[in-house]
Amino acid sequence: MDLQFSVADLSFREEVRTWLEENAPKDRPQNDRKALTEYDINWQKIQWAGGYAGISWPAEYGGRGASLTQQLVWFEECGRAGIPGIDTCFVGINHAGPTLIASGTDEQKSFHLPKILRGDVIWCQGFSEPGSGSDLASLSTRGIIDGDELAVTGQKIWTSFGDKAQYQELLVRTDASGSKHKGITWIIGDMSAPGIEVRPIETMAGDADFCEVFYDEARFPLTSVVGRLNDGWNVAMSTLSFERGTAFMLSQVALAQVVEELIDVARTHTGPDGRRPAIADDEISRHLAQTRADVAALRAMTYLSISRGAKYGTPGPEGSISKLRYSDLSQRVGRLAIDVLGHDALNFRSRSQLHSWVQEYLRSYAASIGGGTSEIQRNIIGDRVLGLPR
Amino acid sequence: MDLLLSDEQQEIASTVASLLTDDLGNDTIDVRRTPTPINRETWARYGELGWFSLGLDEGLGGVGYGLAEEAILFREIGRQIPPGPFLASTLSARLAALGGQSQLAGSIAAGRTLVALAEPRNPDSAAGASISGSFDLFDGQDAEYVLIVTPRGAALVAAEDLGSLQPTACIDPSVHLATVDLSGAGAALYRPAGDDLLFERGTILIAATLAGVAEAVRDMATEYAKVREQFGRPIGVNQAVKHRCADMAILAEAAAAQVFFAAVSVDEGRGDAAFQASAARIVATDAALEGARANIQIHGGMGYTFECDANLFLKRSHVLDRQLGDKYAELDRLIDLPQAI
Ligand SMILES: Cc1cc2nc3c(=O)[nH]c(=O)nc-3n(C[C@H](O)[C@H](O)[C@H](O)COP(=O)(O)OP(=O)(O)OC[C@H]3O[C@@H](n4cnc5c(N)ncnc54)[C@H](O)[C@@H]3O)c2cc1C
Repeated sequence: MDLQFSVADLSFREEVRTWLEENAPKDRPQNDRKALTEYDINWQKIQWAGGYAGISWPAEYGGRGASLTQQLVWFEECGRAGIPGIDTCFVGINHAGPTLIASGTDEQKSFHLPKILRGDVIWCQGFSEPGSGSDLASLSTRGIIDGDELAVTGQKIWTSFGDKAQYQELLVRTDASGSKHKGITWIIGDMSAPGIEVRPIETMAGDADFCEVFYDEARFPLTSVVGRLNDGWNVAMSTLSFERGTAFMLSQVALAQVVEELIDVARTHTGPDGRRPAIADDEISRHLAQTRADVAALRAMTYLSISRGAKYGTPGPEGSISKLRYSDLSQRVGRLAIDVLGHDALNFRSRSQLHSWVQEYLRSYAASIGGGTSEIQRNIIGDRVLGLPR
Repeated sequence: MDLLLSDEQQEIASTVASLLTDDLGNDTIDVRRTPTPINRETWARYGELGWFSLGLDEGLGGVGYGLAEEAILFREIGRQIPPGPFLASTLSARLAALGGQSQLAGSIAAGRTLVALAEPRNPDSAAGASISGSFDLFDGQDAEYVLIVTPRGAALVAAEDLGSLQPTACIDPSVHLATVDLSGAGAALYRPAGDDLLFERGTILIAATLAGVAEAVRDMATEYAKVREQFGRPIGVNQAVKHRCADMAILAEAAAAQVFFAAVSVDEGRGDAAFQASAARIVATDAALEGARANIQIHGGMGYTFECDANLFLKRSHVLDRQLGDKYAELDRLIDLPQAI
């Protein structure tokens, strides 16, 4: 048991830190969606130029091929440098790319992977449907084979960046005769195909991050099928476990920073009683200390799961434990920010750093829904970690 | 960087676990439910095995492992909650050794001299060369010394200098509890807080014990949820039960991860060791108390009985929460510490 990083990892940290100091983009725009997307894509391009794009991707596919520990170092340093995340490029880097690497054909790989790494394209994930959310396998958007094409008809929903993306990971039902997990096909959907209509949906945080996507006999060549026809469920599952692996590290580092900023601000900002600094309130002060402790434990859990990953291979269902803990904590931190802000908590659209917390607070409500709800994560922990009967 | 137990550490854990299981099972009296004198033979055997000096340097007469190994041992104690002054023995052996009293240190480490923990009932009654104030005394029955550990320093006081003890029935039936008032008692040994990090070490060992409790109650509840049937199915198929078990698993994982992170922080001399220790205590207290509560609930009427172990884990958690400060004091300390590295 140790917390020592190897000499190689330490020098990697030095290298990354220096590189980030010189290259990391500053001042991510707060509320301007278009500017945000440009910022994210620009950051992806900078990473590519610096040789850091696809930090977890194998080197043979153009990625950095970093070990789990170096991925941790990378995300810790990005967090320290104030890099918020890779929202716009998340699906491409953390889902689509890894899926193509695992299950794609050589043509699919050589066409798509470099584009993703270079920040030339945005991907979205077309999994959820109005009738199929938690029960994803019940999805019913139809894909009918017609010659060497698939004609897709149906509807997806909650598609993040659906209005920005050039490609999507699209799950369609190609066989409705058997059990629901069989008969799903994973295809690379070209978003410019005729018959696709995208409509943004406004979220409770005032963003328009996700969309409804309608398909009216939209046609995709059969060569865009990833993995085998009707085997899309298995193809998709490999990316979902990836999502709960290292991809959340950066959010965890960022959350720790928010807590520290919050403590700093609470020392001077007038709290809810309108007189004293927020931290003079015992309840606020103890909640802040509690989140400090919980954030520390979240980091320890990340270290523990990296240790497991390094020893036993791919991340197991324990990833659900970290994800649940993170979503719960980010909501508590958001709520605490509101308490610390006191009277200023109602000011929504201001561009100051303080008020971005109000929006972050509202955004935190998504953490326990997107990527599998907290209830579904608890089912996974109960069934697969604890072995409880179904 | 590796937070998993090494093979050798795994070996320590399983040796401790099986010995505790044997000892608890072999006793003719149910020592976890009845206040009994410490079995001196057993205690000396634990001493011989090095349990009270695992993390003490060999040069100081210890086994020469680190705090990580001590935390591994205390987690096993939390899993089985045997009675006895494990914490006071471990901390006082170290204190005596660091204070140059190697004979006393050796005798405590060997399990021959018993030491009880004295917990100040308010911040004014604290450790110093001369000690005054009101204290809770844990497992003081046959003790020759009492140990006081506070963030400001640690002291050993000879039992004969204590004056009269007022025994009280303890919420945990295996713990001997008494109150004692001291006015100007001279310390046999006093060391102000410094590089020893004695308070932080104690905090982490308490957290390790609580993490063990959290794991024990998670396992107890999960096992019961698999076998107890109602409405023709195991109760664990119901999400109200399953999700509670999942929450216990999350709490226990957080506690253990943070305890080991903190223990290694001390062993490696990280600058934020005090921060990590404090965080460990806070998350482990939550994990044990919330887990113990859920475990009672999941056992239904059985969980409310004295016969079921569920109540013992709850009660021990409360006792642990009142040693070396408590969760509130820890929160107030943590908010003033510099941020983690
Ligand atoms: C910000 C955000 C971004 C998203 N981005 C995408 C995206 O890019 N692509 C995409 O495909 N999807 C995306 N989603 C969709 C997300 O995956 C789904 O919202 C989620 O899986 C839940 O599905 P649902 O909304 O249909 O809720 P439902 O499944 O209808 O669930 C409603 C409630 O019932 C509970 N529930 C359902 N089943 C069970 C059960 N078996 N046991 C206990 N409780 C249950 C749920 O936990 C929830 O509380 C996004 C969602 C959000 C919030």
